[in-house]
Amino acid sequence: MTGRSFQPKLSRRAVLTGCLALIAARPARATTEAMRDAIRHFTGSAEIKAGRVKMDIPPLVENGNSVPLAITVESPMEKDDFVQAIAVFNEKNPQPNIGIFHLSSRSGRAFVSTRIRLGDSQNITAIAQMSDGSFWSGSVELIVTLPACAEN
Amino acid sequence: MTRASFSRRAVLRTGVVLSAAAALARPAIAQSAGHVVVIGGGFAGATCARELNRGGLNVTLVEPAATYTACPFSNGVLAGLRPLSRQQFTYDALKKEGLAVVAQRATRIDGQERRVSLSDGTTLGYDRLVLAPGIDLRYDALPGYTEDVAQIMPHAWKAGEQTSLLRGQLEAMPDGGTVIISVPANPYRCPPGPYERASLVAYYLKIQKPRAKLIVLDAKDSFSKQGLFQGAWKALYPNLEWVSMSSGGKVIEVDVRQRMLVTEFGRHKADVANVIPPQHAGEVAVLAGTADRTGWCPIDPVTFESRQQPGIHIIGDACIAGSMPKSAFSANAQAKVCAAAIINLLRGQAPQTPKLINTCYSLVAPDYGITVAGVYQPVNGVLTDVEGAGGVSPADGSASLRSLEASYADAWFRTITDEVFG
Amino acid sequence: MARILINLPKAKRGEIVEIRTLIQHPMETGYRPKGDGTSFPRDIIRNFVCELDQIEIFRADLFPAIAANPFIAFTVKAEEGGTMTFSWIDDLGMSQTETVDFIVE
Ligand SMILES: Cc1cc2nc3c(=O)[nH]c(=O)nc-3n(C[C@H](O)[C@H](O)[C@H](O)COP(=O)(O)OP(=O)(O)OC[C@H]3O[C@@H](n4cnc5c(N)ncnc54)[C@H](O)[C@@H]3O)c2cc1C
Repeated sequence: MTGRSFQPKLSRRAVLTGCLALIAARPARATTEAMRDAIRHFTGSAEIKAGRVKMDIPPLVENGNSVPLAITVESPMEKDDFVQAIAVFNEKNPQPNIGIFHLSSRSGRAFVSTRIRLGDSQNITAIAQMSDGSFWSGSVELIVTLPACAEN
Repeated sequence: MTRASFSRRAVLRTGVVLSAAAALARPAIAQSAGHVVVIGGGFAGATCARELNRGGLNVTLVEPAATYTACPFSNGVLAGLRPLSRQQFTYDALKKEGLAVVAQRATRIDGQERRVSLSDGTTLGYDRLVLAPGIDLRYDALPGYTEDVAQIMPHAWKAGEQTSLLRGQLEAMPDGGTVIISVPANPYRCPPGPYERASLVAYYLKIQKPRAKLIVLDAKDSFSKQGLFQGAWKALYPNLEWVSMSSGGKVIEVDVRQRMLVTEFGRHKADVANVIPPQHAGEVAVLAGTADRTGWCPIDPVTFESRQQPGIHIIGDACIAGSMPKSAFSANAQAKVCAAAIINLLRGQAPQTPKLINTCYSLVAPDYGITVAGVYQPVNGVLTDVEGAGGVSPADGSASLRSLEASYADAWFRTITDEVFG
Repeated sequence: MARILINLPKAKRGEIVEIRTLIQHPMETGYRPKGDGTSFPRDIIRNFVCELDQIEIFRADLFPAIAANPFIAFTVKAEEGGTMTFSWIDDLGMSQTETVDFIVE
């Protein structure tokens, strides 16, 4: 029972590739300010009210390469009162934008689900643009870890 | 120390200095220094209780089961390679060392009063509490999957009856049947475990039921030791199909009446369905207020003390150990660090900063083992992978290397269970 | 041609159904280093559009923060059945379209 021959041959590189790709994928980082600017670009000068937007995302993420995100907005989704668009932003990826989803009264529900990349623990914000021109927002804070044993 | 030295030596070669267990001395202190209650007698709890007891503390281990059934190598039981009895251990050796083992379930924890309530109505006071309850399954997370359904579509993610149930179903299945294993997203107990299971079930089917099919439906696109597993599967198991999340593998619902697993893009009928559901820290850790909204317990990586409840330490699968995977190897290493820290804290001394190691062995076939190893230390309050230490088995390893690693895996299991329970 | 997955359930009139889509695509961010000081050039799906009988019912603008193999799910209220088209458009303006019958009973 010895560890004689196999350990030295183990390739560290294989373990690291997954994580490195992600870490290296953020030479420049968006910032809270960049996120704020991107949000302003989406909303213009309109007031943004907190509420009505619910985000469903795992609070602890072990692989930032693919994080499930579902957003629902409180809205009757009828002809004269519906969610026109939902935009999602992050504060630490190289770019503050994640996606903009355009809905209509035909959607039935104000719902969208996707999978996103997150290089780090951070705050994610979603803004809903209503058909009456108002904007509503919701945020979540999540933790991203990258255990080497979990994926390579 | 000889039993533990195998793995330590192996890691030493890669240039890392010392494992925590060796680095931290075990100072003897007087009994009066304090009473520690340890909840859960698995790899984490049993190790910790023993270390504390040997360190001269007054220790009570609370564990309802008289026999512990170990998960590592339980995939071998599923494949008919070993009897379940080889997974089972008692607490007799611990009791012989003078450790108080109370065969009760902890039902309530009062962190203010520092008291634990037990299922028989009695209570235990403590100066420090260690929670090592492992995992519980999140039955709310997968629509259609309940405790009752687990009797029909076993998870077998806590070894014991569930392992026997799944083994029985595999044996009873006619040749030509379809076995499906559903794998959750991270984090869950034993990252490579589902893939070792797929390998060994495929091995069993290949020999006993060569017309049967095995489908792995995965909620992930990548996994532990993926290249090694997939290389081996290609060579050994043509009837094993892995469906990644991006190929439609994520199971979102279980239809037990039709024995159907519903994925984002389709439905799969199974003759035998092994559903590994999402998990969280063992219920008692949630009751104690040590789990956060993730369902797992944030800890200080130097002492494993809860970030939410002072005086309570959490070790093993239940804690958030940063980059360290949830394994029996990790649980054992964390238990030693935690015990040393508690001894120091009760003596009024500063705990030492640890370095921890983990190795995950997996069997792809009885004589085909693969390994991933890592070394971890606290960086900014999080257990972080030490770069350049550890690694995985080579992709182009020879048959004799694979066979050697399988024997290391076997030796590891005997060594660790002997250390913890023997 | 990239592999596409679509889950469009049959619907009863008035019912709201969830539509799931996935296209296998690397979503190369443009930030991943090659190791020689340069990066792999950006190559992402930039837009996704879903139409029912040529009327847009859902559209998405995607950025590099969308994971590889973009998965998008959304809902539609079933009024009339028809031909549902799903199109993915990449950085070069190349599009891939898939057509599925939407059955409303
Ligand atoms: C199929 C499979 C294969 C695996 N293979 C490996 C492997 O090869 N190598 C490896 O290192 N790891 C492996 N693992 C992982 C390993 O089993 C776990 O990481 C390990 O058991 C964690 O130890 P623990 O002490 O934290 O939890 P557990 O071993 O689950 O122990 C928890 C104990 O706490 C007790 N308990 C719970 N609640 C209470 C309460 N309220 N009061 C009192 N007691 C309580 C339970 O009865 C149990 O005995 C595998 C896991 C599986 C499922």
